[in-house]
Amino acid sequence: MILEAQHIEKNFGDYRALDDVSIAVREGSIFGLLGPNGAGKTTLIRLINRISRPDKGVILLGSQPMTDGDVQHIGYLPEERGLYKKMKVGEQAVYLAQLKGLSRREAERRLIQWFDKFGISDWWNRPVEQLSKGMQQKVQFIVTVLHEPRLLIFDEPFSGFDPVNATLLKNEILALRDKGATVIFSTHNMASVEELCDDIALIDKSKVVLSGSVASIRRSYSRNLFEVTVLAGDASLSLPAEFQLHGTAVGDGEEKLRVTLPEGRTANDLLAALMPQRQIVSINELLPSMNDIFVETVKKGGDE
Amino acid sequence: MNKILLVIRREYMTRVRKPSFWLLTLLVPIMLAALYAIPIYLAMKPLEKSVVLVADESGVFGGLDRDDTLRSDSHFASTDNVTYRYAATLDYAKRLMDNEKDVTAILYVRHRASDALPTDACLYYKSDLPPQQVRYDVDRQLQRILRNRLLQAHGISDDEYALISNTKINLRTEDLETGREAFLDVKTGLGFILSLLIYVVIFMFGSQVMRGVVEEKSSRIIEVIVCSVKPFQLMMGKVVGIALVGLTQFLLWVLLTGIALVGIQATNSELFQTATQKHELTELATKGNEATLQMQQADQMADIPQLIEGIASIDFGVILPAFLFYFIFGYLLYATLFAAAGALSDNDTDSQLFSMPLTIPLLITILCMPAMVNAPSGTLSVVLSLIPFTSPVAMMLRVPFGVPLDQLYWSMALLVVAFPLCTWLAAKLYRSSILRFNRLSIRRKKR
Repeated sequence: MILEAQHIEKNFGDYRALDDVSIAVREGSIFGLLGPNGAGKTTLIRLINRISRPDKGVILLGSQPMTDGDVQHIGYLPEERGLYKKMKVGEQAVYLAQLKGLSRREAERRLIQWFDKFGISDWWNRPVEQLSKGMQQKVQFIVTVLHEPRLLIFDEPFSGFDPVNATLLKNEILALRDKGATVIFSTHNMASVEELCDDIALIDKSKVVLSGSVASIRRSYSRNLFEVTVLAGDASLSLPAEFQLHGTAVGDGEEKLRVTLPEGRTANDLLAALMPQRQIVSINELLPSMNDIFVETVKKGGDE
Repeated sequence: MNKILLVIRREYMTRVRKPSFWLLTLLVPIMLAALYAIPIYLAMKPLEKSVVLVADESGVFGGLDRDDTLRSDSHFASTDNVTYRYAATLDYAKRLMDNEKDVTAILYVRHRASDALPTDACLYYKSDLPPQQVRYDVDRQLQRILRNRLLQAHGISDDEYALISNTKINLRTEDLETGREAFLDVKTGLGFILSLLIYVVIFMFGSQVMRGVVEEKSSRIIEVIVCSVKPFQLMMGKVVGIALVGLTQFLLWVLLTGIALVGIQATNSELFQTATQKHELTELATKGNEATLQMQQADQMADIPQLIEGIASIDFGVILPAFLFYFIFGYLLYATLFAAAGALSDNDTDSQLFSMPLTIPLLITILCMPAMVNAPSGTLSVVLSLIPFTSPVAMMLRVPFGVPLDQLYWSMALLVVAFPLCTWLAAKLYRSSILRFNRLSIRRKKR
């Protein structure tokens, strides 16, 4: 585990922003921090960044309690992000990199590479206020990763990016992961969670209500719903009554069936029933999307 | 490099590179130099010739019913710039003025039968106000002629008059122990200048700190910065960086103003001298009574050495270090609090509200200044110069008058102690508010 937060509690006056929150992030993984607005995600991220301190609990980085010096190993792209508007782009990026402990020369060398890569080299000497929002986001992203931190934290990284730049950003995040960095990101975009995240923690009303690997969570929410594709045949299909057939879609000489299995039955049983009648092309379990799980979990919490 | 140094460097460089910094740096010496140069140029400029028509009903000022027994200096004498012509009546003078373009004004002396001597005169002009020089000259000649009439009527000789009018007794205020004169006027002026300077510095650069904090907050860069720099480092870096900007500007002002003044004196020394000489000659010519004139001049001249002596009597060995001390610590004390006020607010409008409590002690001190000058060692003065929030301004007002050293040390010590306390409080406020936006709406949500 590169990062562990154990039994964190944080209060603002009478308001408990985090209540016995624990998360564990595996080294080299992408960790999704999910939750509705106001659940406490940003508070947790600020604690990890040592912007504020927990009232109870500890945060371990590489199994050691975190110290102030550890922020050098973290790159953080906040949700509410900004730059000095009047300052020149290059100068500002160098300044922010120096604050992270890079030497001026090293910062300039790396920045030139990144600026080339993102095609914004021409903007080096322009004041930030002349940049479009998308370009400012690029600069902020570069500054976040420039000091090659072990742990990257992105708070809503895709908000404000157009699809082209969002894809660029996504690929950069994956590339950084492949180079060995660990990524924590908080988002509302559930499609990107399924696509990118290995593990997640869902925070609602200051508590972790769901955590684990994305695959295992989705499996645990399994509704035993399968989609079977078979070659079309002349005779009509008949399934035993215990298999609940939700519908058949015919097209291109194939039939797609959606079937819910009863308790205790497996996909093999379904195939055994189908095989005598049709040729099987494929079978998939239809797991609930993270979006469904998110909505269901948060709703359940709201009903209590 | 140490992070706080990086912050200081950024705060300093971004401000010093702004055009507005150099504009202000250049404008102030130019304005001061202009204040100095303009009177010189005005003095050098040849005056327009003015013509004044004198319509004197009384005859006292050498009008129509001229009394030949009167001495020769009992009528208006033309000068280089002002020509006096007598007109029989006011109506005649008015007609002349309509016809002749070069008539500047009409001096009308009304005669009332009840008065032995006229008490009322009027300078009439048409659309263009007569130059100040003319009004000044007319007034001077009126008084002179009237005086000479009285002297003659009462049989007082010029010498006797000079003796009477020039005999004065000089009241000084002197320190019993050192035997040195107090020169209260000079000290009052200096005290006002120094304490107002401290007040301006605290306000100008303190609010720059506040605006810097608000800018970081409203542009949301703060969240990026505070994960690499501790809020305290950021705050102190800003405060110190802006202090250095202030010192730079101040030194440049002193330097540039000095250069400008020396330059003006060097290039215009001859002209300046001829101008003053000419002025003196004109006065000499217009004043009939030479004895009086010389006495008066001697009188005026005496003011200048007295001023120099007054300045020399001031203990700059105490004032300059004290000024530097209150300049720096007064600024530091307030700057951290201004930073906290900035952190509490989301925008410039809010910050005005939050900085109000900071301006009150400063304003109170300014309002108390006249009372303090009245009694530089009174209770009010002593109390205000000991309280850390008022002491920078209040003490600088008192220092030129001489302050007991134990009071000075107490005031400084209290300020030095108050500074870390204020910084601690400000840092606490700053840290807890710097990342909170819309504080009011958050509170509402909590409930």
